[in-house]
Amino acid sequence: MSVDLREPRQRAGQRPRLLPRGPFVPVWVMTAALFAVSPVLAPGSLSGSALSSMLPFAAILVLAALGEAFVITQGGIDLSVPGAMALAALFATKVPALTGLPLAVSAVLGLLAGAAAGGVVGVLVVRLRIAAFVVTLAMNAILIGFVLHISNGFPASANPAVSAFATGSVLGVPNLLIIAVILVGLTQWLRRRTVAGRRFVSVGANPAAARLLGIRAEGYRIAAYAIAGLLYAVAGLLLAAYLRTPDILLGNSYQLSTIAAVVLGGSLLTGGVSSAVATGVAAVFLTQLNQVVLAAGAPTSIQLLVQAAVLALAVVARRVPFGALVRRLRPSRPVQ
Amino acid sequence: MPESSAQLVLRGVTKRFPGVLALDGVDFEAHAGEIHALVGGNGAGKSTLMAVASGAQKPDRGTVEIAGRPLTELSPVAAREHGLAIAFQHPALLPDLTVTENLMLSVPAAKRPSFGAAARWAEQRLRAMGMPIDPAVPVRELTLAEKQAVEICGALACDPRVVIFDEPTEPFMAAETDRLFEHIRELAARGVAVVYISHRLPDVFALADRITVLRDGEVRGTFNRSDVTEQEIITRVAGREVTALFPDRASDPGETVLQAQDLTSDRLGGVSVALARREILGLAGVEGNGQREFLRSLGGAAPARGRVTIEGRPVDLSSPRRARDSGVVLMPQERHVEGVATVHSVRENLTVAATGVTSRAGVIAARREEQLVHREVAALGIKLASPDVAVETLSGGNQQKVVLGRALLSDPKVLLCDEPTQGIDVGVRSDIYHRLRETAEGGVPVVVLSSDNVELAGLCDRVLVFSKGQVVAELTGDEITDDAITAASLTGSVVTQEKQAAKPARRRRRFLSGEQGPSVFLLTAILVLLAVGAGQNSRFLSGFNISSMLELAGPLLFLSAGQLIVMLTGGIDLSVGPLCGALVVVGSFYIGDDYAVIWWIFGAVLMVLVAVGVGLLNGGLVKFARVTPVVATLVTFMGLQGLSLFLRAVPGGPIAEPVTSFLKAEVGPVPWPVLAGVVLLVLFELASRRSVTGLFLRGTGSDDKAAHKRGIPVARVYVLSYVASAGCTLLGAFLLAAQTGIGDPTAGTSYTLTSITAVVLGGASIFGGRGSFLGVLSGVVLLQVTQTTAAFAGLSQAWQYWLPGLMALLATGLFAQVQRRRKPGRTAQPRTDAASRRDRE
Repeated sequence: MSVDLREPRQRAGQRPRLLPRGPFVPVWVMTAALFAVSPVLAPGSLSGSALSSMLPFAAILVLAALGEAFVITQGGIDLSVPGAMALAALFATKVPALTGLPLAVSAVLGLLAGAAAGGVVGVLVVRLRIAAFVVTLAMNAILIGFVLHISNGFPASANPAVSAFATGSVLGVPNLLIIAVILVGLTQWLRRRTVAGRRFVSVGANPAAARLLGIRAEGYRIAAYAIAGLLYAVAGLLLAAYLRTPDILLGNSYQLSTIAAVVLGGSLLTGGVSSAVATGVAAVFLTQLNQVVLAAGAPTSIQLLVQAAVLALAVVARRVPFGALVRRLRPSRPVQ
Repeated sequence: MPESSAQLVLRGVTKRFPGVLALDGVDFEAHAGEIHALVGGNGAGKSTLMAVASGAQKPDRGTVEIAGRPLTELSPVAAREHGLAIAFQHPALLPDLTVTENLMLSVPAAKRPSFGAAARWAEQRLRAMGMPIDPAVPVRELTLAEKQAVEICGALACDPRVVIFDEPTEPFMAAETDRLFEHIRELAARGVAVVYISHRLPDVFALADRITVLRDGEVRGTFNRSDVTEQEIITRVAGREVTALFPDRASDPGETVLQAQDLTSDRLGGVSVALARREILGLAGVEGNGQREFLRSLGGAAPARGRVTIEGRPVDLSSPRRARDSGVVLMPQERHVEGVATVHSVRENLTVAATGVTSRAGVIAARREEQLVHREVAALGIKLASPDVAVETLSGGNQQKVVLGRALLSDPKVLLCDEPTQGIDVGVRSDIYHRLRETAEGGVPVVVLSSDNVELAGLCDRVLVFSKGQVVAELTGDEITDDAITAASLTGSVVTQEKQAAKPARRRRRFLSGEQGPSVFLLTAILVLLAVGAGQNSRFLSGFNISSMLELAGPLLFLSAGQLIVMLTGGIDLSVGPLCGALVVVGSFYIGDDYAVIWWIFGAVLMVLVAVGVGLLNGGLVKFARVTPVVATLVTFMGLQGLSLFLRAVPGGPIAEPVTSFLKAEVGPVPWPVLAGVVLLVLFELASRRSVTGLFLRGTGSDDKAAHKRGIPVARVYVLSYVASAGCTLLGAFLLAAQTGIGDPTAGTSYTLTSITAVVLGGASIFGGRGSFLGVLSGVVLLQVTQTTAAFAGLSQAWQYWLPGLMALLATGLFAQVQRRRKPGRTAQPRTDAASRRDRE
């Protein structure tokens, strides 16, 4: 038998909505709005040539931010993006030239190096319980040390074959964008439709509860850092290939912009709530924003300021109880 | 007794929490010179009443009067200043501060001794408790009983008119309890009004003059001790009406499924239980008597030794995962902490427990999952608009049904429920009772731990009552009544051996693991490196090299000092490096040889303004926008880098020569600003130990909730620490300006990591509360000597990155290990804390 008593605290009046709501929606609106006003702010910023120069960079940020999103889904933070990207870049430039290894072998080694660095970070954070920002900041320095050690401080050119691939396109769609879209789609599918993905997200939302469900919480958390390292390496390799002769510290601007993209995409910094697609859209938004700012005549340094401001706004806006404000403005609705 | 002698008067106090009426028009009085006991079961409202009395909670209705003055202000210090002191059941002490420092913060400012006299003052206060506690020891190293003693001393040190003891004897041995009672009687004899809250009726009858019984938030009578018997009190403590509908009991319990033999841990003294096929077994007892440890150890969530078999086969219960493999599923107590992921939807929470049925080859079948969700939502009777709503938006009862659903979906052979109906209303309770009975009828035995004796009496076939880690009574069938359980848990006593608390060899260990300990290691390392350097190159120890080393270390000295100030509060300031660089860039526009001195001054003022502004921005983001310190200061980190590059894309703007040579002037081989930096660090170290500001700073980082209870203005401390850090960075920026002699937009950035490294090398905890400015001094010198040695040894530029990176990892790694070894009981779960904070919002 069952006693049917009305739940007094149940929120009444959940009516069907015309528009989708949720943490991952605002970034779509913002991105659409930005593209809509782009031509006004900077004429020509939606032209085919502008887009084809913007999209490859957007793709790189999508990949790096996707890695950061893995870590942030577990409630962590990763400041080692620049080091991991710069190190991987060497595997497209310096390493094949120095060692004579075939490019493919070298590239795989680069990806493994990124994953290994991430794995070490994960073990230190999860097993030894050192604060993530200290480990990743230190790991960043160590990786940059390796970059300087291998490169002697001089940039080198990427292998022409890999550059041709990175700058190429299929039916007008840049190859880099295709890779980014595939990886974002794969991640989204893994998280939504596979057991491992579900468990991963559930550990991120509440590791203690996941542990009681018999999930290997520590393993999933370590894996997050390793996968992140792998994705930074993918981003670094492709960026080096695209730029042909990249700066040896090519990843520096990604330390903040990856975090900004993840937060802007609607993920919670405390973990558990994250969307690969929304993160990707946010990365496109940030890249286009930079592009517009540059096209409007501002110097490159402004990019950093703009990104800092966007991230600050995004995190602060999260704290404003918009829902409560709306409810207060609508007195007709019964309180509780 | 005359009315005028009432020292604490509560009138008509009503307090409602969401879903519960915690206090309903309660009147309570404590007179001067009397010991007034307040008794009641778990959740009767005793703690809420005392929270209202001490100004920690605002009543919805009613008044509080202390020593004749009404309490109007809701603040942790107001009641203290009125003359009311409270010794909390869970001591609100600051673990990283010494006993003396904690006692100083326990008393109102007017009653605080000077720092010079503090040690003796503390010793006198402690002597009264009769426990040999060293006042110079950090509180985290004390045993539970010692902490309780310090908490009581702190309350008494206020010279209160009213003092409240909340379950004070819980961790005490018999002798210590006797001494405390003597002390309490003396207090009463001196005219203090004593409120004594306890579960233990023998204690209450030994001590109290009057006894007030509280049940379900209402006073059920106040008696003179001589006029009542224990039995009469028990009847009043229990005697709740049966408010929920219970299913029938099992007709035939069936054969034994689970057999636990001699389960032992530090809270369990050898418990053996057999569990039958269709039985619901209840666990009862006063909170903290081992019943929870027993349940959790069966579920693999708490460690215990002993032998457990299921259906005759021995099983491994060393982790929840192993326990589940054997079919034992635990439904945990605090649903926000371990039960559900509240940010996730009902669907996600349920399906993650059922992936075994809904997936094939690791891929989830959408339709099967959809069916399962609908079936479960209906079976559990969860009322919701859609399974996609987040669990945090549901009522407590519906949330609890989700927790139960997660447990049942795991297809258990044995189900363990820890407080399955805590904080939920009657209708939902009944749903859950019936679901549990159905489970048991289906051949899955259920163990229910509950602090609600009515619930146990109504639901269970058998109830075990725990006291001090052992089963003291077993009730079956019609013996199980609210009264019987209450009587057994209040009076049941087990003779436990007086355990000799194993005390570590403190003195020796304290020096090495203490806050100045790391400096000893660092100084040794510095000497070794100096010897290595001198052996390699005779110029290494030349006056020129020493002074250039110190000059290079100058900016870091100041930046690290600022970093430690923030870290002591438990925060982090990533922006110190770029801020230092940005300040030099700003200055480089005005402090040039071509400009008049007035412009130099203007430039310096501008630098001050930028520094203070950045400090306020960091503090504001952290405190008011509640952005985590890492992200908040990363934002300013990037913003400042952008600003520097915007102002000067390439290095430029030479700093005026008189300024640089002034800042490079030397006293002997030492540049004077470095000397000043050392003096500043020594002063900071003194201030952190011997000033109220220092106690506030360390107290906030040690435990901000306890700090708030102790009257520390936590919010102000947070914000000002970032301003102080920016201020120190400003001083460092002047040295950097002299060093580089030019406005270089990227010069400062690397200081962020090195400042953190120096601070953690010096033994500071990333999580706040601990750290030494002298340790920072050693850390900075070690970093600089290391860099110089590396340069002399011809190591490449890469080592400039490797060395600080590796040293930071080593220092924090070692520190984390030392910390973990020191407090095995406190497993860090920062995430759950964050999660529960989120749930409250």
